[in-house]
Amino acid sequence: MNQHIDDNIPPFDDPTSEREWLAQERAMRRERLHLDPAGDNARGRRYRLLARTLREPLQDSLPADFAQRVAARVAAAPASTTRFEFVLMTALAIALVIAAGVVTSMYGSEWLPSFRTILPAPQAPADRWLLALAGCLGVSWLLGQWQRRGHG
Amino acid sequence: MDDIRSSPDRDLVDAVLANRPGAFERLIREYQGLCWHIIQRMVRNPEDARELCQDTFLRVHQCLHQYRYESALKSWIGRVAYTIALRHLQHKRIPLVEHTDDGDDYALVENIGDGFDLEAACAEEETVQHLHTAIESLPPLQRTLLTLYYLEEISIPEIARITGLASGTIKSHLFRSRLRLRGVLETRTGVAA
Repeated sequence: MNQHIDDNIPPFDDPTSEREWLAQERAMRRERLHLDPAGDNARGRRYRLLARTLREPLQDSLPADFAQRVAARVAAAPASTTRFEFVLMTALAIALVIAAGVVTSMYGSEWLPSFRTILPAPQAPADRWLLALAGCLGVSWLLGQWQRRGHG
Repeated sequence: MDDIRSSPDRDLVDAVLANRPGAFERLIREYQGLCWHIIQRMVRNPEDARELCQDTFLRVHQCLHQYRYESALKSWIGRVAYTIALRHLQHKRIPLVEHTDDGDDYALVENIGDGFDLEAACAEEETVQHLHTAIESLPPLQRTLLTLYYLEEISIPEIARITGLASGTIKSHLFRSRLRLRGVLETRTGVAA
């Protein structure tokens, strides 16, 4: 949206066009200032009639409550957008969990044993408790995220 | 830049970005006339224009955080309105300008014409109506440029910021439109060729 604009207005190459342009500009300024048309020639007066017509308000307009209605729509939008995003995210998460379950049930027998060899075997009771604690923390964090989203 | 940074524009933008009650409604009230003039002159259909004005302000609200005070807020919002109207015309395959031979109009250059009574012509409803019809029949870009220049009293460099056109191009469009409309008046009210 940001742009570089040259503020110089170049003159026309053709001097007669430039003179006509200056006459147009002069008529516009004189009409804006409501100066006496007696000082204008016929060309200037025609350009002044044009200026007067162009300065008339347009026939149609926006409804009187336009600003109020658009502002109300904008104010209402964030809540509905957030709700939509939340529903969409939930649906995607459920789809992901289902897909993961399906894939695990179909191919899990092939790659789960190789994971068992990599992971340390929870032989000692301390290791089991540590894994249980990590699981609890993970579930609590996920539930916290879920609730925050729900109230946001 | 400092004058823009300390202008009411900044206060209004800050208020809208801070979600202060009534701020965005105030912004709309301030600039709805400008948007209406741009969009209605471009698309010429009041129903479409109202809808596009609404789209414009929804977009302004969405993108206001991107406004960098490099131009007046009026020009920035005008640019959003112009872009939305332009897309509408492109979608409807309506040409923005028409490529016609301006030869007949150029014959009027430097022709001062015969006597013309400005007040009598203004009083004559038919002449004014004829002129309105001629303005309406101009291509969308020329109608819009004339409205911005005369009704909104926006300078050519500011119009350039709104439309993205070069100042020389805008000058040329204004010149040719005015010459053409003068030709319409000459035909109606009579002229010594």
